[in-house]
Amino acid sequence: MKLTIILLIATFLQVSAASYGQKVNLKVKEATLENVLKEIKAQTGFNILYNTNALKDAKLISLDLKNATLDDALKKSFEGQAVTFLIEQKTIIVKKKPATAGAMEVKPGNLKITVTGTVRDSLGTLPGVTIKIKGTSLGTKTDENGKFILDVPNDNAVLVFSFVSYLSQEVPVSGKNVINVLLKPDKKSLSEVVVVAFGTQKKTDMVGSVTSIKMSDLKIPSSNLTTALAGRAAGLIAYQRSGEPGKDNADFFIRGVTTFGYKNNPLILIDGMELSTTDLARLQPDDIASFSILKDATSTAVYGARGANGVILVTTKQGKVGKAQIAFRLENSISTSVRDIELADPVTYMKQSNEAILTRNPLGVTLYSDEKIANTAAGLNPIIYPANDWRKEIFKNYTMNQRANLNVSGGGDVAKYFISGSLNKDNGMLKVDHRNNFNNNIDLTSYSLRSNITINLTKTTEMIVRLSGNFDDYTGPLDGGAGMYNKVVHSNPVLFPEYYPVDADHAFVKHIMYGNYDQGGYTNPYADLTRGYMNSSRSLMLAQLEAKQDLSSVIDGLSFRVMMNTNRTSYFDVRRTYNPYFYTLTGYNPDANTYSIKNINEPSATEYLDYTQGDRILSSTFYTESMLNYNHQFKKHGFSGLLVYMLQNNVSANAPDLQQSLPFRNIGLSGRATYNYDSRYYLEYNFGYNGSERFSAKHRFGYFPSAGFAWSISNEKFFEQIKPVVNNLRLRATYGFIGNDAIGSPSDRFFYLSNVDMNAGGRGATFGNGQGAGTSLNGVNITRYANDDITWERSTKANLALEVGLFNKLKLTAEVYSEKRKNILMSRASIPVTMGLTADVRSNVGEASGKGVDLSVDYQQNIGKDLWFSATGNFTFARSKFTVYEEPVYDEKYRSRIGHSIYQQYGYIAERLFVDDAEAANSPRQNFGPYGGGDIKYTDVNRDGQITAADMVPIGNPTLPEIVYGFGFSMGYKSFDLSAFFQGLGNESFWIDANATSPFNNQTQLLKAYADSHWSEDFRDVYALWPRLSPDINNNNNQTSTWFMRDGSFLRLKQVELGYKLPQGLQQRLHLSNFRIYLNASNLLNFSKFKLWDVEMGGNGLGYPIQRVFNIGLNMSLR
Amino acid sequence: MVFLAVLSSCKKFLDVVPDNVATIDNAFTMRTQAMKFLFTCYSFMPKNGQLADDPAMVGGDELWEIPERGAFLDMAKGFQSKVGPLGDRFQVMYQGIRDCNIFLENIGKVPDMQETERRRWISEVKFLKAYYHFILVRMYGPIPLVKTNLPISADVNQVKVFRDPVDSCFRYIAQLLDEAAPALPLTIISPSTEAGRITRPIALSLRAKVMVTAASPLFNGNSDQASLKNGNGTQLFNINYSKAKWDSAATACKKAIDACTDAGMKLYVYNPSFQQFDLTDMIKTQLSIRNAVTEKWNSEIIWANTQSNTVGLQQLISSWWDPLYLDGVITKGELSPPLKIAEMFYTENGVPIDEDKTWDYAGRYALRTAMDADKLYIRKGYITAALHFNREPRFYADLGFDGGVYYGQGRFDDKKYMDLFYLESKFKQRNGEGKYGANTVTGYNLKKLINFQNTINSSNDYSVVDYPYPIMRLADLYLLYAEALNESTGPSPEVNKYIDLVRQRAGLGSVAASWTNYSTNPAKFQNQDGMREIIHQERLIELAFESQRLWDLRRWKESSKELNNPIKGWDLSQTTPISYYRVTVIYNQTFGLKDYFWPIAEENITDNRNLVQNLGW
Repeated sequence: MKLTIILLIATFLQVSAASYGQKVNLKVKEATLENVLKEIKAQTGFNILYNTNALKDAKLISLDLKNATLDDALKKSFEGQAVTFLIEQKTIIVKKKPATAGAMEVKPGNLKITVTGTVRDSLGTLPGVTIKIKGTSLGTKTDENGKFILDVPNDNAVLVFSFVSYLSQEVPVSGKNVINVLLKPDKKSLSEVVVVAFGTQKKTDMVGSVTSIKMSDLKIPSSNLTTALAGRAAGLIAYQRSGEPGKDNADFFIRGVTTFGYKNNPLILIDGMELSTTDLARLQPDDIASFSILKDATSTAVYGARGANGVILVTTKQGKVGKAQIAFRLENSISTSVRDIELADPVTYMKQSNEAILTRNPLGVTLYSDEKIANTAAGLNPIIYPANDWRKEIFKNYTMNQRANLNVSGGGDVAKYFISGSLNKDNGMLKVDHRNNFNNNIDLTSYSLRSNITINLTKTTEMIVRLSGNFDDYTGPLDGGAGMYNKVVHSNPVLFPEYYPVDADHAFVKHIMYGNYDQGGYTNPYADLTRGYMNSSRSLMLAQLEAKQDLSSVIDGLSFRVMMNTNRTSYFDVRRTYNPYFYTLTGYNPDANTYSIKNINEPSATEYLDYTQGDRILSSTFYTESMLNYNHQFKKHGFSGLLVYMLQNNVSANAPDLQQSLPFRNIGLSGRATYNYDSRYYLEYNFGYNGSERFSAKHRFGYFPSAGFAWSISNEKFFEQIKPVVNNLRLRATYGFIGNDAIGSPSDRFFYLSNVDMNAGGRGATFGNGQGAGTSLNGVNITRYANDDITWERSTKANLALEVGLFNKLKLTAEVYSEKRKNILMSRASIPVTMGLTADVRSNVGEASGKGVDLSVDYQQNIGKDLWFSATGNFTFARSKFTVYEEPVYDEKYRSRIGHSIYQQYGYIAERLFVDDAEAANSPRQNFGPYGGGDIKYTDVNRDGQITAADMVPIGNPTLPEIVYGFGFSMGYKSFDLSAFFQGLGNESFWIDANATSPFNNQTQLLKAYADSHWSEDFRDVYALWPRLSPDINNNNNQTSTWFMRDGSFLRLKQVELGYKLPQGLQQRLHLSNFRIYLNASNLLNFSKFKLWDVEMGGNGLGYPIQRVFNIGLNMSLR
Repeated sequence: MVFLAVLSSCKKFLDVVPDNVATIDNAFTMRTQAMKFLFTCYSFMPKNGQLADDPAMVGGDELWEIPERGAFLDMAKGFQSKVGPLGDRFQVMYQGIRDCNIFLENIGKVPDMQETERRRWISEVKFLKAYYHFILVRMYGPIPLVKTNLPISADVNQVKVFRDPVDSCFRYIAQLLDEAAPALPLTIISPSTEAGRITRPIALSLRAKVMVTAASPLFNGNSDQASLKNGNGTQLFNINYSKAKWDSAATACKKAIDACTDAGMKLYVYNPSFQQFDLTDMIKTQLSIRNAVTEKWNSEIIWANTQSNTVGLQQLISSWWDPLYLDGVITKGELSPPLKIAEMFYTENGVPIDEDKTWDYAGRYALRTAMDADKLYIRKGYITAALHFNREPRFYADLGFDGGVYYGQGRFDDKKYMDLFYLESKFKQRNGEGKYGANTVTGYNLKKLINFQNTINSSNDYSVVDYPYPIMRLADLYLLYAEALNESTGPSPEVNKYIDLVRQRAGLGSVAASWTNYSTNPAKFQNQDGMREIIHQERLIELAFESQRLWDLRRWKESSKELNNPIKGWDLSQTTPISYYRVTVIYNQTFGLKDYFWPIAEENITDNRNLVQNLGW
């Protein structure tokens, strides 16, 4: 296998270097004209255009030329030949001499006239354009410089120029020898070539379900591409939970989640390389040529085992022949939190802290004296009576981010290139103490460099080298941004100031005198923020070599392609910290308003930075695929076939045990066959045959076939009448099987082997003369029992789609799908603990199903010359449910998960708060710890007089949204354009984290909302937001219940953009092909019932808020 | 074709697993590997004395804890529930039993072992299998016995086992211990590497305890549990009382005592070969009492748990006795004996405080100033409750209290009695409430489990002499024997002999002499019921704070009496003696019939409907 690859590379690498010059040296004897011309081409760099047939009968030539001019050399070579030449731009065109045309005829018919020409579009020449003589099968294609030569029978012939995504043009010859054509892009079908697995398909030929996202939709004011996805494509469920630079990846799923294994997100392929979500996040929209989402069985089948959760397929741009084009984008944005959590003021905090203690224990000792509360409220000496607004002391109100991208593309007939570089700088919202000379704010600078080079080795051989690197340099606080938000909420606001000012006694100290209290065990978030910083560095290097060989000379329409790539990811972080000096107040003289402070951690505090190593993560992937492709059109029958062999190997340096250190491997053979008849009926068959190393030999390979059918009704004869109204009507249906080998957990490598830890610390024992001395041995722990029957998760998918086009303006696509997963790996529930197993016994017993609808609508209209308008909308509904789930036989039917969503939560039904202790004592016993009046009253669903797990019922919507939608419009008038995009989601529930927000527990702050609405002895509001206060966590109240359940649905104005383009004329004078400045903003408006924090963050509201961004940008292209 | 050829050749590509990946068979290929598995079997031993793992520390009424620590205190407060039972061991003990069975199935395969050693290991593992079953029975009552392992692939109905009746459970445990005893060594030959491994005295002592437990009221004719039946009708408790159980328990105890004697064990008495200071008998007696527990491997330790380190526990219970280091953060001053425990100890005459003719029971909460005679127990001149005066040495050895002297901990010369440490426990005093952090919640501190040589060297340096937590010591066995014999044959000199041995070491007179001379009920020791009471109280005092009281009260069915009283202490928020020494209720404890046994977790029952829930849950 390896040998084959090496041989292939060797062949492709035999590129002869050509020297260029205007002078020709020729010494040939009895050479064919073709060879002589090739030599001339090699020496001069001129292109030569000819019909092979025309040269077949040319005379042999003997010449001896030294330093001859090109013209001379050609004249000598063409002496006495039946053909002649002409030179046009750097091309030598060989054509028949009109006089001898008749005598030399070999082709069928009367080929009398030789027509040459160049085909261009608005940007440059177009290679590969098909030129046909109307009504015949005769024709040719333009070469890499867009030039063609064709012999036509007579003046009446009509040439048809056609090219994918361009409008076809018919040009009558009418005596012309040179026909130059400017092809106009077909606006309607420009986006209609869709990148599919291992190739492209015309949208009008599609059978499978593939959605593509326009690049312009991905350009949002964020350096994280994944945050642009929500609401942009039908079939994609996406949401974002955090706004922290570097940790703001959105979660996204194709058509929801129908499995309960660990791998439920789509396979991401960038130029055919399998990469991670973060790698996708760092991709620059400017570099992307296409972005496709493969949803159903036929479109993903060729990925076999890897594609069960859908596939995201991204290709990057390639250079085009022509002058270098330079495009440049520069953006600067201001970002601020969409919504911050509101905390109660320090005085309320103290009052209610006292209330919390006394309401639970009337004899309890309160923490804050009336005097302290009164003096704090009066704003007396803030050193003595601190009242910290930690959030203001830690966070800025806004931050600035910059993004820049530069790319250059172009090429000639030997090579084409696309090179791009970008720099994104994202800053956090944290403050920096300038007494330290380091930056503890988040600064994520990410660079990327990409180079895609296409080399034409021969006329039929093409080699593509893609090299790209992505580098993140991160500096940030030790606890991370989300960690700091969390600390603010969990720090006492009234015990000490952030730091003490330097006083006379401490004039000599060089350190910051951070505040703390008592023994110093309290969290001072400001100290934690400024005591050091973390640096991390992540790099991803990708190298890819691809070679394409056109085998048309063997079989017409056959081509071969081999691609191999490797990527290396490395990550490390280091932390540099000092141990802050904490001071506490030791004396206060109210009369003189003087105080003294003392250090409380002298022995352990340091003024100098210390260093700790962090993670070091390294991984390496190698992937190769070889592909045979066949395309043939025979009259009305179109055939295509594809056969791919692929192989993947991943290794990682950070394995916790031997089994995980072994390489991760995958091999597969996949194929596709399509047939269409008269652009009306389409059939497609796909298969994937895949092997995974995770399963025992007998289950190692899986075969996943799928088939589909499409009918373009609008291409039927009988439809002609309706076409002006319904310009497109198409039905598609697919059905097939897909596998998933990423089951269980990533640490479960080989299900057919038991996993035994022969050195388990937790199972060790010590003997001997007391501890420390003696014999200590670690023990043996079984963490997995072998089961060689475990195999693929298997998914059966069906898809039905309807495409409608109306008035050439409105496009509608509606798809319904269903999916059935079986063989989902799950733990056997029927094994009682008396078996004494130390690990779950698992097998492929689970089954789940999913169904849903994807809808998308596009509308486009030009009004007059200057005004255009377009609108788009899409809607995704995806619902999953368990169909087979191994669970105990419950007495209570409602406990069964079967029939419920995979993300359905179970919890108690909270009726209200208990009015008083007496009611609590006389209600069914709640088994979670002490409770009384003002605590949550749960419903005893099974009426056994106790609240136990048997009273948990499915509550709320799934935690994964079932509905995601987006809609927006764009319009332009002359040089201005305006667009707006709304996005929303629905059918999602989340839970306020009662443990994390429980006020006073571990110095947790009091949310203002809780301060304003809780049960108190004076005001017994049984429907208050928060139950009776408590100084610590009340386990009765923090159970998963309907009390803290909230509706996660929202609608937001995700993006608005206003742009201005310099007028064409001005642009040309400035040698620009594009100059646009724009203003945009994201997350401007939110519509949601939930007000405590940004609803999209779900239960994680104490983290780094999602950002609202205002951005100004400039786009410029030079040519 | 080419592709297919390549594909088949590449099937090998997926064979990434090298041949020698560890499987369970690797554990029995060599002696050294098998030894790991032996240790694995030991690893399931509950860590006695550790708050998180030992319900008998704060799960009953012997020690009260500051509320924030949670843990088993919730059980003591009555928050046990079948939804995630506190301290549930149902799963982990069966895991231990499964590993024991795996060991027993495979140990025969190990080639490079001598037969004597193989028999010893087999016996140790049989012992552990018995011990794990016993732990379950003590907690849950009747349990499913797992004599052999069921295969992983066992049929669903096969794995849904029933609970076995308690009599079968005890019979099986005793049988395993019988099988284990003969091949175990009498003593550990190499204590530096093997101390803590099972010996014959350990096996026989556990057998004695198992038999006594089986004969005790909770399991012997407990008609409260009459309605606990399996779904198939099997009665799980034998409701007929059987005296024969006590007979065989007594025999088992005697056999264990004999084995201990053969092994050279005797009650510990403080008598060091080198003595820096000439100590008074008072202090020597105190050290005999304290060191019997805290001196590792002393002469009366039958079985100590080398898996349970006591450094953390000693830090937790040590208070800020050294006035130099009041801001120490390592000592925690937690775990507080309630007032009733302080009242449980005898008077200096060796009889209960409410029976002593010479002791003012009614005036026990009045204030009294410590005089010269009290100076080694209570700081001279200190005003404290009368309750703290004229008590038996075990009171002063076990408890710290306001004004109580803390002998040792760096101050060893008892002549310089004013140098000795003592506690001050009133509000905002160094051992009282009002300091930040933890403190006593009753007014008492636990002293017994602190080694007397521990010293506080600085605010954050506390040197602790570690010892493995004792599971069984000779005094325990003597009192079990006395108890069984009294139940079996009634009072006899043999019964008195073993109680008196324990009392003698604690500096008290014999039962006969003490009761005859001082008790208001002088003939109490002459009848079986009176003697039973005496033995019970003697046992609770002698083994106080050693994780025994919770189990003893349960097996005697006395929890519902003892644990239905409020937990009391002094009024800690007071600064003057007069207001501090007022009895304050800390918690109203309740104990119902259901609380004698742990609930089986609800989920275990939904997984196996053949398991019936314990009564009342």
